[in-house]
Amino acid sequence: MTDTHARILSETERIKALGETAPRLARDPVSQPIINAWLDAIDETDPRFTEGLAPPAMAQVWTMPGLRGTRGADDPLSQAMEMLDAAGFTSVLGTNCDQVYERYLKVGEQVSVTTRLVDVAGPKQTGVGEGYFVTTRNVWRVGDEEVASMQFRVLKFKPGQGGRAASEASDQSRPQGPDRSEIIRPVVNQDTAYFWEGTRQGELRLQTCNACGELRHPPGPVCPSCHAMDRGYVVASGRGTVFSFLVHHAPQMPGRELPLTIALVELEEGVRVVAAVRGNPEDLAIGDPVVVAWDKVDDELTLPVWELAR
Amino acid sequence: MSLSGRAAIVGIGATEFSKESGRSELQLSAEATLAALADAGLTPADVDGLTTFTMDNSSEIALARELGMGDLRFFSRINYGGGAACATVQQAAMAVATGVAEVVVCYRGFNERSGQRFGQVSSWAAAQVNTNGLDNAMTYPHGLSTPAATVAMQARRYMHEYGATSADFGAVAVADRRHAANNPDAFFYGKPITIEDHQSSRMIADPLRLLDCCQESDGAVALVVTSPSRAASLKQPAVSIAAAAQGSAPDQYVMTSYYRDDIGVPEMGVVGRELWRQSGLTQDDIAMAVLYDHFTPYVLMQLEELGFCGRGEAPGFIADGAIEIGGRLPLNTHGGQLGEAYIHGMNGIAEAARQVRGTSVNQVPDAEHVLVTAGTGVPTSGLILSK
Amino acid sequence: MKGTVLPQWELPITPTVVTSTAIATRDYQDVHHDRDLAQSHGSKDIFVNILSTTGLVQKYVGDWARDAVGPDFVVRSCALRLGAPAHPYDTLSFSGEVVDDSDGMLTIDVIGRVPLGDHVTAKVAITR
Repeated sequence: MTDTHARILSETERIKALGETAPRLARDPVSQPIINAWLDAIDETDPRFTEGLAPPAMAQVWTMPGLRGTRGADDPLSQAMEMLDAAGFTSVLGTNCDQVYERYLKVGEQVSVTTRLVDVAGPKQTGVGEGYFVTTRNVWRVGDEEVASMQFRVLKFKPGQGGRAASEASDQSRPQGPDRSEIIRPVVNQDTAYFWEGTRQGELRLQTCNACGELRHPPGPVCPSCHAMDRGYVVASGRGTVFSFLVHHAPQMPGRELPLTIALVELEEGVRVVAAVRGNPEDLAIGDPVVVAWDKVDDELTLPVWELAR
Repeated sequence: MSLSGRAAIVGIGATEFSKESGRSELQLSAEATLAALADAGLTPADVDGLTTFTMDNSSEIALARELGMGDLRFFSRINYGGGAACATVQQAAMAVATGVAEVVVCYRGFNERSGQRFGQVSSWAAAQVNTNGLDNAMTYPHGLSTPAATVAMQARRYMHEYGATSADFGAVAVADRRHAANNPDAFFYGKPITIEDHQSSRMIADPLRLLDCCQESDGAVALVVTSPSRAASLKQPAVSIAAAAQGSAPDQYVMTSYYRDDIGVPEMGVVGRELWRQSGLTQDDIAMAVLYDHFTPYVLMQLEELGFCGRGEAPGFIADGAIEIGGRLPLNTHGGQLGEAYIHGMNGIAEAARQVRGTSVNQVPDAEHVLVTAGTGVPTSGLILSK
Repeated sequence: MKGTVLPQWELPITPTVVTSTAIATRDYQDVHHDRDLAQSHGSKDIFVNILSTTGLVQKYVGDWARDAVGPDFVVRSCALRLGAPAHPYDTLSFSGEVVDDSDGMLTIDVIGRVPLGDHVTAKVAITR
């Protein structure tokens, strides 16, 4: 770990530990003239927004600092930005903005906002250069009532490293669909490395005990049957049947498109392995035959996936 | 030598249960501890032992400092998430029974809704550089990365093997919410649901629906454990610890014990057998139970592992309101974690103690012996509490 | 309604669109109204701010939902993944599809494209 990275980590922990900022009041109450400016600019014609309700997408507008306002010295997003600026990650790119609305705001209501730092993750190599993803969470309230919230993520990066100008960054740096660089990585050690070397080569490797021949999965250093530590592996045929499965709908998952079907498969060799099922087959059932295929995430990580074999 | 009857719960304390406490986790635990000690008629100066979960973010010494406690002779933490709940009381009971400590507080406090939410994808759990991280390497990268999803895998198999349906799981949610509706401390106070509500709630991890999953909550619960002789001079009637057990079964993982012949919850069978052995009681002696209900399918599996019914018979056992107030075996009379709050099982132990005291909002008549369990799908624990 | 495809909407981006939406959202960052400063930061021109993209996505879904779902539909959540910037003289083309319809909740996937690629991919949840 470099000193810079260590500093970013410790500073991140410090800012995270500050928790939520004190509520900051909107400059003005929810008001029709400001709504009207939005309706004009967006060309929004929903009649409810001339009858006392505000567009939900305006939640953040009410608490924007405006031309001369500031977010205040305690703002965690500003603090995280400054920290990364100081470390040379000076360019910024919005990547995600997830808003949830508990209800629509009404004209006359006074909104306040709190912010906290959720995480700073990196360094990551992206299409625009090396950078850190900064995630913050805002909550808007009227009095004590939560009315809307937002998870907001930006990439703070060192410009000019990714071989593309920042203005084009956004284009190919994020292909359509989820950002697969966010797929959770396996922790690997000397007991399990053979398995992941195998997946990179398109082999589903099952640990075998060289003393008694017993197969096992997941891997481990000792044969639970005979306690020998002399181990090898066999390459599975890749064929098996679904022992159980689920379809994940919520919550959102880093690097994955939902819904996502995941199956526990009993291989012909008699051991079970978990992996995603390609294509979310709608009529998947326990007992269905499947065969292994491969999902190359990047040069280091290839995951097995199941394909329906019927 | 047996642990049975050698220690008692004499104090129960809790904060309010909310979605955003607005205070630190340490403050929550301190508030619950003060409340539990006041309930017992004790003060922080009386405490000489503390137990909590490995997962708790507030150390024993931090809590002791806040409350100005004196010398601590015993402190202990239990691993495996919610599986620790009843084991914090077991640790306290063993310490008290052996004279290692005299007054032990078991605590758990967290901002589990406004802070780190367990229901979200827990990337940290996959990044741990230890055996848990290595275990999770075989599931998380594939997208199997939330508690609901890990349970859904077992639930689907259970449905396949025994013909259980989503509505059978829903019966647990309906019972819990009926009980919560009568509990002013419950998040879902005054908000019962019907089986139709359950069946129309959206899929989270098919076959699990939203109403199969417990809430995420902020709050803290603390319990005071001491010896029967000390208990005799205190404010509340003593709730005797008739049995206290932990359990882990062969080829055990945390939430992903998928490689055994039967992918149910045999670790709860280990707990159950030990509870019956220590207490000398049988299922027929149990007036009510608090079964850990972060996800409804596990309640059915626990009934079977604890021997209240045979394998695969839980859907029949719970039918027709059998687990609701007035039924054969009322469960989770506080509303459970689905209805009251998710305080990692500690609020369930508090309810079990209230039932023995006779002070539950949904009191079961003549609750002489009650059974309470801790987190399921993980190495776990359980208690039998008696008058 | 799962599988229902929303009619396309093509919005020609002009300097007026970029600046009026930026100011209407009270976002005064220079890259949304001052071309010289935007170019000095390495952009080819000013570009649409995120708050306005959120508004445009919800207008697109709303224009469809008012008739298809009913005038009382309620937007519950809106998750954006941001991509290529939308500059003046780009055409921002919106397309959408209902990807889930269960328990009274409709989930609509929206893509807003500019010549450079996807400006935004969004998931909008509405209830009837």
